[in-house]
Amino acid sequence: MLTRRGFLTAGGLALAGLAVPRSARAARTVEIRMRSDTLGTQVWFDPIGLLVEPGTTIRWVVEQNVHTTAAYHPTNDMHSLRIPERAQPWNSGYLVQPGSHFEATLTVEGVYDYFCLPHEIAGMVGRIVVGKPGGPGALPFDYFKGKLGAVGWKAVPSAAERAFPTVTAIMAHGIVRKS
Amino acid sequence: MKRLGIATGFLALGLLIFATYASVSQAQMMAPPGGDYKKVSALVPLPDFLPGLGTLYVQPKTLPAGPFLAYDREGHLVSTVYMIPIKDIDAHKKFDDLSVAKDMKVDHVDMYFNAGHPGVPEPHYHVILWYIPESKAEALK
Repeated sequence: MLTRRGFLTAGGLALAGLAVPRSARAARTVEIRMRSDTLGTQVWFDPIGLLVEPGTTIRWVVEQNVHTTAAYHPTNDMHSLRIPERAQPWNSGYLVQPGSHFEATLTVEGVYDYFCLPHEIAGMVGRIVVGKPGGPGALPFDYFKGKLGAVGWKAVPSAAERAFPTVTAIMAHGIVRKS
Repeated sequence: MKRLGIATGFLALGLLIFATYASVSQAQMMAPPGGDYKKVSALVPLPDFLPGLGTLYVQPKTLPAGPFLAYDREGHLVSTVYMIPIKDIDAHKKFDDLSVAKDMKVDHVDMYFNAGHPGVPEPHYHVILWYIPESKAEALK
């Protein structure tokens, strides 16, 4: 069962001192920073790839710029399904102020791909493996083409496809940062 | 007598146009610029003040290109910004007759890539006509 909790600004300062642990597997809450340079030229999730145990809470925190975190799921503006079929999708909505954050607890094993709405085309995406790899997120990006029930699903933009860390790299390192 | 009346009419019309032009110009020099301009943060989820740019106003009908009028924290006009989507550049799209802030002397021009933000949620270029020196522009935080 996935639970969602959205927080705006409150508690942001308290989070500033937290860091992502070297190994996320043992942590119950893991933080992903939503980053940008000053001009908004470069935008990214940090880390971009993560391996966690089922039941881990992911907390996305805005460091700079305006971001969202949303699961690749048809309920999110017809994006293609790239989280486990039994998992519940999330969509934070816009997180405007530095320190704003959003949490989701991931309980179903598999690969979870997610994106930032205003920056998806520029390649701001992330991937989390919960437990072991599996589900639609572990399949090729075009797996749904021609399938019944997938009419109207949006393909992953090419810059986003290139940005995803491989499942192999996530399984090997536990945490993958943008190079 | 008739010619004098016509000349007076043209003069009055000219003064009216000048006064309107001047008032538009004056209105744009301080925030809010009035007219059809809306504060961007009231249209889309963005902070009131954007570090490096200032407080932006735009006429919604001109999105995404703009112009966006940018003001510092004291409400002074500091730049006019145009936001040009990369896909429009790739498509060789023509942008005609983009309006400008009146009576402002451009100090320098910046152009840089932006990955997107609410209002223009796609990669685009910011083209900025600065009315203040680079040192002051860099201090817009």
